[in-house]
Formats: sequence, C-alpha cells, structure tokens
Amino acid sequence: MTITLEVNDIRKKFGGLQVLKGVSFRIEGPELVGLIGPNGAGKTTLTNVLDGAIKPDSGIIRLNGQRIDPLAPYEVARAGLGRTFQVTRAFRRMSVLENLYVPALAMGHARSERDCRDQAMEILEFLTIDHLRNEYGRALSGGQQKLLELGRLLMLDPDVYILDEPFAGVHPTLMATIYKWIQRVNGQGKAIILISHQMESIFTLCSRLLVLNYGDLIADGVPSVVKTDPAVIEAYLGHEEDMSGTGMVNLKEENHA
Amino acid sequence: MIRALPNTLGALGVAFLLAFPLLYAAGNYDYVMHLWITAFFYAILASSWALLAGYGGQFSFGRMAFMALGAYSAGLLDNYVVLSSAPTGTCAEFGLFGGWLVFINPTGVSTSAVNCLQAARAAWPEGVSTSRLPLIVSILIGAGVGGGFGWLIGTLVLRLRAAYLALFTVGFSEILRAVISAEVWITRGQAGLPMSPIFPDGITLFGTYFASNAKLPVYYVMLGLFLLTLLVLILLARSRIGLFLRALREDEDAAEALGVDTVKYKRTVFVVTAMIAATAGAVQGHYVGIITPNTLILLQMALVIAMAVIGGLENIVAAAVGAIIISFGLEFLRNDFVILGQSVDMSTWRLVFFGLLLMLTLRFLRNGVIHGGLLWLERRAVGAETVAKRRAGAEGSQ
Amino acid sequence: MEYSLFFWSVMGWMVIWGAIGGSLIRHAYFMRDLDVTDARRVGVAVGAATGPFGLIPLYLKTPKLTRVWKIAPWLGVLGLFLLTFALSDPGNVCVSSGSFLTSQIANGLIMGTIYGLMALGLALIFSIIGIVSFSHGEFYMIGGMVVYYVTAVLLPGWNPLLAVMMACALTFCVGALFERAFLTPIYDGRVERPIEYSILVTFGLAFFLQYLVQGLGGANPVKADAFIELPRWRFPEDGSIIATSRANITLFDTIFVSTPRLMAAVVSILALLALIWFLFRTWWGKALRAVAQDRQAAAVTGIDPRIMNMLAFGLGCMLAGLAGAVLVQAFSWLPQTGAIPALRSFVIIVLGGLGSLPGAFIGGIMMGMIEAAGAGCIPDPTRAAAYLPAYGMVVLTLVLLLKPTGLFGRKA
Repeated sequence: MTITLEVNDIRKKFGGLQVLKGVSFRIEGPELVGLIGPNGAGKTTLTNVLDGAIKPDSGIIRLNGQRIDPLAPYEVARAGLGRTFQVTRAFRRMSVLENLYVPALAMGHARSERDCRDQAMEILEFLTIDHLRNEYGRALSGGQQKLLELGRLLMLDPDVYILDEPFAGVHPTLMATIYKWIQRVNGQGKAIILISHQMESIFTLCSRLLVLNYGDLIADGVPSVVKTDPAVIEAYLGHEEDMSGTGMVNLKEENHA
Repeated sequence: MIRALPNTLGALGVAFLLAFPLLYAAGNYDYVMHLWITAFFYAILASSWALLAGYGGQFSFGRMAFMALGAYSAGLLDNYVVLSSAPTGTCAEFGLFGGWLVFINPTGVSTSAVNCLQAARAAWPEGVSTSRLPLIVSILIGAGVGGGFGWLIGTLVLRLRAAYLALFTVGFSEILRAVISAEVWITRGQAGLPMSPIFPDGITLFGTYFASNAKLPVYYVMLGLFLLTLLVLILLARSRIGLFLRALREDEDAAEALGVDTVKYKRTVFVVTAMIAATAGAVQGHYVGIITPNTLILLQMALVIAMAVIGGLENIVAAAVGAIIISFGLEFLRNDFVILGQSVDMSTWRLVFFGLLLMLTLRFLRNGVIHGGLLWLERRAVGAETVAKRRAGAEGSQ
Repeated sequence: MEYSLFFWSVMGWMVIWGAIGGSLIRHAYFMRDLDVTDARRVGVAVGAATGPFGLIPLYLKTPKLTRVWKIAPWLGVLGLFLLTFALSDPGNVCVSSGSFLTSQIANGLIMGTIYGLMALGLALIFSIIGIVSFSHGEFYMIGGMVVYYVTAVLLPGWNPLLAVMMACALTFCVGALFERAFLTPIYDGRVERPIEYSILVTFGLAFFLQYLVQGLGGANPVKADAFIELPRWRFPEDGSIIATSRANITLFDTIFVSTPRLMAAVVSILALLALIWFLFRTWWGKALRAVAQDRQAAAVTGIDPRIMNMLAFGLGCMLAGLAGAVLVQAFSWLPQTGAIPALRSFVIIVLGGLGSLPGAFIGGIMMGMIEAAGAGCIPDPTRAAAYLPAYGMVVLTLVLLLKPTGLFGRKA
C-alpha cells in the first residue's frame, strides 16, 4: 500500500486573522516535500492542524484514506503521522533512553522497556548520541535535543514525518547526521514534509516544494521551477531577486534570530 | 555505599514499624499508637497525592473529597444496611444467602424516632441475630464510590489544562461538604455519622485477646494498608504508566504527538489514587468512630499537600515519610504557651507556621526536604565514586 | 410530588436527547465530510430543546451551522427549562409573585456587580501572569476584616470609605509583596513547571493567610455596621415610587433591595469606573493591557514586564479585597469566609473565558442572577441556602462539558 496524505481546503482563523486560507495538497508515496514560506506564513499552524493539536475551522485531511482532521493528536500519531516541534520538546527530566521508550511503548511496538532497548540503542548510535543515553533530556545541547526528537520519531515509526525546522541552531557536524537520518527514513519508503528556512538544505534534499504565503499555498512543484516563480520571489523579498543565492539564506536566518 | 543508604533505611524503617507496637514500653501506649495510626492515614493520602501531582503533574485538591466519599459510603452502609437472620417485615429488605439484607429507614438526628429495625426487634423472638455487612465489603464499596467519582471528574476535566483540575476539585470538595451538611436526614450533618469499630467484637491474635477499642490491631491494619499503598504506587510508578506519566508531566503536547493517550493515563492514575484515598477514609472512619463534614475543610487538604511538598513531591516514599514526621510535629506543637503576658493559641499558630513552611519549601527547596536530602546524598555518592575512579586511574598510570 | 416527578422527567428527557443529539449530529457531519467544530454543541442544544423532532431533520439535512444555529437552540433549551419549572410548581413564589421575581432579579444584578468585580481581579491576574490565584478568597476575607477592625475597633466613627481604602491599600501591598517574593521564579524558568508551582504556592498563601487572620483575630464571626443608614423617606407621599427604611429600599412597591448590598454595589461600580479609567486612560493601564496582549512586543517597547506582573497581582488582590470590604456590612465574617467567593470567582472566569476581562464582569452578573434564582426559587428554602456553592458548580460542569473555552474566551 502506498502512503497517501490528502489535505483538502484547510481553513483556520485566529481571532480576526485568517492564518490558513484554504490549503490543499496531496502527497503520495515516499516523497520528500519541502514546505517553505516567510515568517508568519502559517507553516507551524499547518503542522499543528495536520497533527491534530489544532482543529481546523473547515477542511478535511485524510491519511491513507482515513479521515484524521477531527482526531486527537495521539490518534493521529497512531494513524501514522509523526512530527517534531519547532522549539525542541525533549522530556527534560527523563533520560535519553526513556525519551525513546515513550513512543515505542505508547504505540504498542514493544511490551516493555527491555524489548525495545536494542532498537533504541541502534537509533542512538546512528544519531551519534549513544554516549548520552543515561543523561537527562535537559542536559543535552540544542542540537542534540533535535537529534533526540528525530530518534523518538523513528521509534514512533509513522508513515508521514513532519520535521519543523530540524536544522535551526544545529552545529554543522550534526547537520550531516540529520541529512543521513532523512535519507534513511526516505529510503524506508516514508513520506517527509520538511519545514525549514535553510534554503540550501531544502534544495539539496527535496524533490518537491510547497510555498505558503500568509495562509495561501502559492506554489507547488519541482524546486527548480518554484525557484523562478515570480509569485514566490515576490512573497519572499517583496521585489525580484535571485533566491538561490546565499543572500536569501542569511536574510532569513537573521529574521529567525 | 552511600547509594545503598536509602534502600537500607527503607528496610530498617519497615522493620521498625512492624516491631514497634510489640516493643514499645514507655508510657501513654494508646496515645502513641493513636499518633502512629493517624500518621499512617496521612501518609497514605500524601503519598498517593505525590504520585498524582509529582509524577503525573496533575494538581488535584480533591484528596479529602475522595477520602470523605469512601468514609461516608462505608458509614452509610454501616448505619443503614444490616444482615439479619430473620425478616423484619417493616423495612425494605430482600433475601440473601439464607439471611436477609435489610435497609433501615434513616431517622436523621432525632433521638426519639424509632427506625424499622428497632420496631422489628421489639417483635422478634429470642435468637435473631443481626450484623453489619462484612467490613471488607463496605470498604470495597467505599473505594468503588471514590473511584467512580474520580472517573467522572477525570473524564470531565483531565482533557483540560492544569488549572481546571485544581479549580474543579476545590469546587467538588465544597459541594460535597454542602451536601453532607445539608442532607441531615441521612448524614446527620454536623452532628457526624457514627461508625462501628473495625473489630466490633474484639479480636484474638496469637492467643491474646484485644478489645474493640484496642489500638494494636488497628495499628497493623493501617500499617498494612499503608505498605500496600506504597507497593501499588511504586509498582505503578515503575510501570509503563509511570513512564507515560512522567512524559506528559514534562510535555503534554509532545507526549500526545508521540502517541500517548494522555487523558487515559491521567485518568487511570486519578481513579487509582481516588480509590486509595477512599479506602483510607473508610478505614479511618471505622477507627475514629465518627465522621463529620469538617474533614473537607481547606485545612485538611492543605495539610496533605504540605506533607507531600515538604517531604518531596516527586518521591512517593519521601512524601510518606514527610507526612509521618509532620503528623507527629503537629501533635507536639499543640500545647499553648504564654508569651509577654499573651496566651498563644498554638492550635492555630502551628498551622500558620506550616503554611509558611509550605511556601518557603516550594520557593527554596524545590525537591522538598527529604527527597532533596536524598538527591544531595546521591550527588555526593556520584562525586565520591568519580574521585575514587580518578584516584584509581592515576595510581594505575603511575 | 407528582409535579416534581414531571419536572425531573422533562429534565431527564432533555439530558438524554441532548446526549443523543451530540453524538448523532457530530457523526452526521463527520460522515458527510462537513465541518464538525460546532456540530456536537448544536446537536446537544437541538436535541435538548426539541428531542427527535428537531434532530431528525437536522440529521437528514445537515445545514451549514450559522450563528442562528449556534444560539437559537440554546434559547429554546432555556425556555423549555423555565416553562417546565413554572408548570411543575405553579405555587412557587417565583412563579406566582412578580414582585418577588423582580426583587430577586434586582438583587441578582446587585450581587452580580460585586461578584464581577472580584472575578475581574482574578481575570486580570490570569491575563497578565497566566496563573490562577488560589488565594483570591483570602484577600476578599482580609478586605472585609480590615474594614471591620478599622470601623468597629480601631477608629470607630470615622468614615467607612476610609476603611475601604485602607483595605484596598493593604490587600494591594500584600499581593504585590507576595508576587515579588514568591512568583518571580516562574518568569525566568527557574521552576520546571511554573503553572503547577503557582497553583501550589498561592494555595499555600491561602492557608497561611487564613490561619494568620484566625490567630490574630480569633475564629468567631464578626459583623461590621452598615456604611450608611438611610433616613425614612417616601416619594411621593404614599411611597408608591420609592420608599426607604433603615435596611431596605422599596421601588414601585414591588422591588425590595437591602441597603448595605446596594451601597456595596454602588461602591463597586465606582471602583469599576475607576479601573476602566485606569486601564484605558493612564500610561500604567495601557502598559498593562499591552503586556496582556503581547508580552514580548510590550517588553520591546520599554515596558518592564516585571513591574507589570507585580502591579497586576497587586491590583487583582486589591479588587478581591475591595469586594470583601464592601460586603462585610452585609454578611457576617469569618476567617473561612473566602472559600465560597473564591470558588465563585473561579466559576465566573471559566464561564467568561479565562483571561477575558469583559467576560469576567458579564460572567459575574450572570452568576449573580443564577444564584438569586437558585436561592429564591428552589422549593426547600434551607436546602436552597445550603446549596449556594452548588449552583456555580452546575454552571461550571455545563461549561466544561459544552464549551471549555468559556462564553467569551479566545481560542487556543
């Protein structure tokens, strides 16, 4: 069975602000999709809506044919959608291993901590943080916490992964690990939605780009085409400029900080 | 070596508690036993609250309400339900295992009104025996009632954020107090509902007869309940459920996103701790012999919280030990004294002192006094080991 | 007896159809791939108001749920409830006596104003600091105690308004000091779980203050004199429009209002106007509102959020103290007096939507009306009085079941 995620006309309003104005797209099979857009475009809101943390005002989401928009986040996770958070949310006063046990036991992949210890150790080694296995989550650096979140997602083993800013504040050496992680997951036939401000990574990794701008999905296509789309350039910079250059990346990073 | 200290201390503590009533020979035997029984009672409440609040991060102010639900359920059964060997003919009743289960009509606080059982008794021939329901049945029913209400409240408020649970349980306690105070016809209101002793006919242990008002059997009942509670709580904390609880305490959204049905596990623990409180209430009610709605005032709940916080909120055993120490402390601070010609009413001022202590502990000793001390020991142990390793390493390299 | 059977059967009918409607209608909207956000609530209301007669067409048609759909069925539920009550107990003083009913409404409004004022304090604290203070009732109690001790013991014969101001000053200072001493760790992440810490520490404060007052003043009930005693006055001559006596005012021969409560409401409204002036016309007030709306943006513009936190907590406590200070002349006062008003304030801010200031005030008025109706209309008067805190809890339960964000709450 191929993985399908159908998002159909999602709308969401906060107070008087229309954050999502009818977003629709469809993901099929092991796609690696980049979701980009300026700050305040609605990327995180869209993630929260997909994950079930926020209920949309209208619209329908189906994962593998099952309607998931009215479900609670844990039901969405069990249906096969996992996500990381923009601001890392490791369980601060639980050890790294315990952090990994939570999804495995919650999903019923393992019956006890001992059952999934080997798998957890394998993942930690892959992520190069196995020497920290008994440390508390809060003892980890920001980048290591990002890796920990990715490790938890592997234990959850969903069909669709949503990564919200996995590269923000991560040391370059750890970036390589995250790249490796993404390729491993994608290689297992899973779909990934990657949200990032780091255009280089997006262009390196993704085969398809979605561009959100103030609640509208203004572009959906192959990166090389999207990059030259006037609407996208307009949305990003307000005037035409080549967005493949490093100037773009720096600008966005400054905004982010 | 220092690492093993807590476990050794724990084992020694249990051994001491088991042997204490047999070895204690100084004066005021009954009074001292009474203090211990009360201390165990508070320790049950405080440690179960510590699991809910410290592990699960769910701050319920309803401990006393569940305790009272258990106590009143057992008390009402004790007063109004009787097993009889003959039908009364006047009461609501039905046959059960060859006897009769009789429901007595409540007569409120009136002393002159005659209930249907008394009326029937006058007409009965000799040899008809009546007895209350078996203690275990009424206590279990009390626990069930507590758990049932816990389930309802949990279903309603546990899907919401922390403050709602605290708000709602405070309200629930107030309502319960209002209901118990107002429905005088069945609860006898402020006059209190009398309850029979745990062993109404006394009990013979190892050839020694203990009268119904003897403290020793009750001591062991309460101690047993206390140890059982600790066992259940520790097993729960070490299980899958404990792991999920800590995860959702740290970050509820992240736990949800990883597939943890947070409401379900919060509710499970809420119901279990409610049942523990209700059981403790039922046993304590039978021991004290009377229950009144005053167990539901703020003071009682605040004491339980203060005990758990001062002991150490995130450690079940520390909370229990804190409860025992504070329970004794309160008793010793009871005596009034005169200062500068003014008589000081210690029964009030000791509570002011504990309120302040609660606030200061929260503010400055986040792990509580006892748990904080254990953590300090643990750090020292780790430090000592590291130093030892380094020294060994240095010697090896020379 | 058969009347009460009738009443409870209708209530049971409403509850059952409400429950059926809730799940049925949500299911219908879900299956047809329609918006399910309000479907359950509308289903509950339509089910309770009309039973199967409204549910079946709604189930078959599944129209778009406009504002009319969201409100009209609830009015139907309210109407059905009132009608059932009137039919089931025709002899009830609420049904038979218009004069009693109007007096209850007037009293409900008066008490509601004061409830609203007190709840406003709690909502103010929540909107700025994001915590619920569990010591709100104790500040209410202290406000009353200060007025009693000033007017009756320390400075008898002075203007009671002076005592009210002293109560405000004291509660403000205690609140602000407490905030400085105990709440500062929650702003900078020094405690792992700030919300839970704040719940416990304010609860500890409540316990401390309650027994401190008991230790200082004793556990016996006290009662302050009324602030003013009205002269006997009639207008016109026969008193058909307004007639006053020492403790009561009668309007149009039908509405009876107790003077101390009316005075309390008057002072509350003045205080409310002063608060609105403060929040909307002074720099400090504007800064407070700015912090409530967006903490970080406010900090960037040079507002020190720490001062604002202190100000908000102090003001919130002061409003509770003020409510107590004006009500001490109407009720007898104990160190434990604060519990029920605190509970009521919680219910009000949940009803109004946590953190919504207008919601808190409107919720207060609604709560005043509900309590007046409950206390006046429930057939057994001793029970009606004993169950005073229960009306709020019934409201709270319904709100949590149906709309946890409250009537005026912001989402998420």
